[in-house]
Amino acid sequence: MPLTFVKVGESASIKMVLGKDETRRFLGSLGFTAGESVTVVSENGGNLILSIRDSRIALDRSMAQRIQV
Amino acid sequence: MAHTIALAGNPNSGKTSLFNELTGSTQYVGNWPGVTVEKKEGHLKHDKRYLIVDLPGIYSLSPYTLEEVVTRDYLLDGRPDLIIDVVDSTNLERNLYLTTQLIETGIPVVIALNMMDITEKRGDVIDVLALSHSLGCPVVPTSAVTRDGLKELVRVALQMIEKAQSVAKTATFSKPVEYALGKIGAFLEGSVPPETLRWYAIKLFERDGKVLARLNLGETRLQEIETIILQVESETDDASEGLVTNDRYEYLSAITMRTHRQAKKKGNLSASDRIDRVVTNRWLALPLFFLLMWGIYYIAIQSVGDLFIGWIEWLFVDLIGANVALGLSMIGTSPWLTGLVVDGIIAGVGSVLTFVPQMMILFFFLSLMEDCGYMARVAFIMDRIFRKFGLSGKSFIPMLIGTGCSVPAIMASRTIENQRDRRMTVMLTPFIPCGAKLPVFALLVGAFFPNSAWIASSMYLVGIIAVILSGIVLKKTKAFAGDPAPFVMELPAYHMPRMKGVFIHMWERGKQFIKKAGTIIAVASAAIWILQSTSWSFQLVETQQSILASLGRLIAPLFVPLGFGTWEVAVATITGLLAKETIVATFGIVLGLGNVAEGDPNLLASIGTFFTPVSAYAFMVFTLFAAPCAAAIGATRREMQSARWTWAAILFQTGIAYAAALLVYQIGSLIF
Repeated sequence: MPLTFVKVGESASIKMVLGKDETRRFLGSLGFTAGESVTVVSENGGNLILSIRDSRIALDRSMAQRIQV
Repeated sequence: MAHTIALAGNPNSGKTSLFNELTGSTQYVGNWPGVTVEKKEGHLKHDKRYLIVDLPGIYSLSPYTLEEVVTRDYLLDGRPDLIIDVVDSTNLERNLYLTTQLIETGIPVVIALNMMDITEKRGDVIDVLALSHSLGCPVVPTSAVTRDGLKELVRVALQMIEKAQSVAKTATFSKPVEYALGKIGAFLEGSVPPETLRWYAIKLFERDGKVLARLNLGETRLQEIETIILQVESETDDASEGLVTNDRYEYLSAITMRTHRQAKKKGNLSASDRIDRVVTNRWLALPLFFLLMWGIYYIAIQSVGDLFIGWIEWLFVDLIGANVALGLSMIGTSPWLTGLVVDGIIAGVGSVLTFVPQMMILFFFLSLMEDCGYMARVAFIMDRIFRKFGLSGKSFIPMLIGTGCSVPAIMASRTIENQRDRRMTVMLTPFIPCGAKLPVFALLVGAFFPNSAWIASSMYLVGIIAVILSGIVLKKTKAFAGDPAPFVMELPAYHMPRMKGVFIHMWERGKQFIKKAGTIIAVASAAIWILQSTSWSFQLVETQQSILASLGRLIAPLFVPLGFGTWEVAVATITGLLAKETIVATFGIVLGLGNVAEGDPNLLASIGTFFTPVSAYAFMVFTLFAAPCAAAIGATRREMQSARWTWAAILFQTGIAYAAALLVYQIGSLIF
């Protein structure tokens, strides 16, 4: 399921990141790789703040939907 | 011979702070990813033989963002003698991701394990020796804030330069990838320097277009390489680039597992995360933000800031102006020259500097918001709204700064990665009423709407509406078509603001405005004064017969449809192009009142002859949108990096100004 389904405060393990563009590569270098655990810290109108590998990353809704957990 | 040391690292890893400490300079440090886009240079303190280059913060050496390209090209072509890799120790694994790529360039690397003070406070332990051993390069724990470890860092760095050889260990990948790298590497032998062989092999495996173009390998070689990549991809069922990313992180996980012990369990919420739960909450985020902004403007513009205005006016008019006039007359200067210096330049510059305190207070609070980490959250909160009309949340920050001064605001747009979004932000930011436009509004509101305070506030609303409508319309044009770039942004952890940094930052922004007062405004004030007191035959004349008046009469007809077609207003419009704050002064001069402030009762009374309430409002709207001041146009030129785009911005802004003022006057005249 897409990451947008995960509730605030819950964690999930990344299965894959869909797409083949620059943003996907950028997410990769930020540490969004298969098997990594990600926690949803906050949600605002579909945009998410995530905790991954000791850093906080803000993502808009369309990007979050491409992350499958 | 001089040696070069490059500083590289993730955004927000404390690179610029370290650069300032090492070189003794005061570059502004932002708690906002992407503050450094250009590279900056400085000499090592106490030893001028070493040049230090501060590179933009990046997450990876891939070629996808402007910052990455700048850094990569510099490392490959500039070949610095050493890289000091600034690693944020609170976020070890992610920061080491870049480290492994820096090591692959074959340039010797020293790791500055930065922000150790915070790591220690958290109770985390990093085995520095083991980390150094695993990566094969020296690791020095540092803290740019407390200055711990900086001497040791310099000592180790200079020692490494002496050795002039990379001893670091490159990351090892999974078997299929290593197999491909070996094959590709064999093709490359002889065509690239041996120490960069692995880097090039990895980039070719990742199908990096920029590197492919650089190497010029020839069709057959490229075919062979592509076959190898496809073979690995079908074997592993993954794209080559994804394979490398995954393997790199696997390699690092193994290292950090051995060397890094965290006090907090992974997945637990930190204090920073708990603040975010409240501050970026779906219901609370906007009310909290507006409450905060209201408080800041109340302090900066209304209460404290307003107090200073009287003092500065007194300083320039009564103290400096009067005494210079006295001094000049005592040494027998002609009244004409005294007039130029006192009524022209000193009063002109003084009228601009009156806003400096307000602006400094505003910038102080904005810098505070940025340094503690809140500003990055504001971009996140606003993204949801801005996206609806084609802008990214990152465009909001320049507009917020634009309420102070458009020049630093336009410069702040630099952090927007997407060129389309950046251009649009540069074009629309001047629509937000800046500090210099406020006295113009105050003058006209004072003269025509003395009992309606909301008229001045309505300018903010008009400005915001114009930004929104322009965003929607511009998105329909070819140059701006397409959705705004996806919003992906690292948020720094909240921390207590560091006053030194906040003040440097406030000064950097406020400086722009003061510089403008000292240069453009001084010259403009002098020029206006000369033009309004001389005729074409360079005789001293009454304002009515001056060069300025005749120029004004020439263009005045243009403004008749807008309701302000007199030469006096036409002149004020032109001087407004130099700087909006000279508009009030121009009215004073052409009315023969000298350089007066916007609250002057004579000025308020005489201005009534030029406008009706409707045309006054039209003039305010025109002033709000028309091409900003000369300094902002200069900033636009720098950020657009194109004369064509700069002209497009000026024409767009002035076109909107004319159309909007025309609408206001024509429709307003029908109603009232």
